[in-house]
Amino acid sequence: MESSELERFEAVVLPHLDAAYTLARYLTRNDHDAQDVVQDASLRALRYFAGFRGAGSGEGRGWFLAIVRNTAYTWQQRHRADTLSTEFDEERHSETVADEHPEAALQAQSQRAALRRAIAELPPEFCEVIVLRELEGLSYKEISDVAGVPVGTVMSRLSRARRRLEDALCAEPEDC
Amino acid sequence: MTHPGFEAQIDAYLDGELAPPDAVELEEHLRACPDCSRLERRRRAVRVAVREHLPRFPAPDMLRARVRAQVQAETRQTHRRRAPTWTALAVAASLAVVAFGSWQLALRGAAGEAITNQVLASHVRSLMPGHLTDVLSSDQHTVKPWFNGKLDFSPPVYDFAGGGFPLVGGRLEYVDGRPVAALAYSRRQHVINVFLWPADRGRTAGPRAATLQGYHLLHWATPAYTYWVASDLGLPELNDFAALVRRGDSAAAATVR
Repeated sequence: MESSELERFEAVVLPHLDAAYTLARYLTRNDHDAQDVVQDASLRALRYFAGFRGAGSGEGRGWFLAIVRNTAYTWQQRHRADTLSTEFDEERHSETVADEHPEAALQAQSQRAALRRAIAELPPEFCEVIVLRELEGLSYKEISDVAGVPVGTVMSRLSRARRRLEDALCAEPEDC
Repeated sequence: MTHPGFEAQIDAYLDGELAPPDAVELEEHLRACPDCSRLERRRRAVRVAVREHLPRFPAPDMLRARVRAQVQAETRQTHRRRAPTWTALAVAASLAVVAFGSWQLALRGAAGEAITNQVLASHVRSLMPGHLTDVLSSDQHTVKPWFNGKLDFSPPVYDFAGGGFPLVGGRLEYVDGRPVAALAYSRRQHVINVFLWPADRGRTAGPRAATLQGYHLLHWATPAYTYWVASDLGLPELNDFAALVRRGDSAAAATVR
């Protein structure tokens, strides 16, 4: 790869490392595997970058996330076919909720716990649409490119995923 | 009465993904249908809860460092793969001069050079996925005992988190024909590898620096240990790091005495 290509790679792909790691983290459910997946994916991205003709950083995001997604799936088939770890980094991500209302804080806490359990139990094809749509703000078209399925499928998966999350939240009666 | 056909449409509507005529039609339906309008409210609540409670995860510095190291490695490989044109040969020649020039101090012997290359190769290999640590811990009291039974010496392990060089972990390496301890530290997005093994002749040597393929190597020997340090960190900061290790060693030696 020419050094100008490497510069283009750094400008187009590397800004999306957080998005890549977030997706990998939700798909693998732990930090160590997520790091390995993103590193493998970026190595592949580097190798195939010559074939990527998109110019903008937005296109680079979809392109890179598709590689991360496929790497995570391949990786999971190879390494962890039957183990599902549900480890979630609680200390790091339990940001404090406004504690002027202890009851509200308690409710928010149980809501958060219910949601995190629910997302961890979602099949990966449901989990990824939630992450890509809600956390990364991708459009249905962009998600369909990343996941390699038609827009209609994205729409129905997203809806079914949200139904499951809604059920999980409503398992706590006071939330509904 | 429920309208399952509308469920996905309601979600698409909330996502702003419904074509305008469909959106107008759905809004009319929502005004007329309390069930669907309740569903719409619940879905809004789900979206709010998801965004509030599910975190995005920033890529760890160590991951950034490794990815960046890959890009650097790719650059070097490209240069090696390219057919040697006269320009390339000229560049190679000038690089060789630079490399030789920065390698002024006593490491010219063939043996020294072999170790240098082994240390560099170990460092580069450690940056590949899953190779950096066999024991992943920032706790020196976890890393040090891990070497028990794996080496014929117990390497000194320090944590310099206070000095801005947190310990990442340790692993075994094979350098100079023997198993050695490798300790990984980080500095922002840079990885620092420390290789050490018992000094054979007890001869001390001051820190010497070399630059190879964009990596800095430091070498010194205490009466007890031979040290090599490798990193892409800038040389001044790497020297600061080496000073911390040396200070740690002399403090430990003082305690023993």
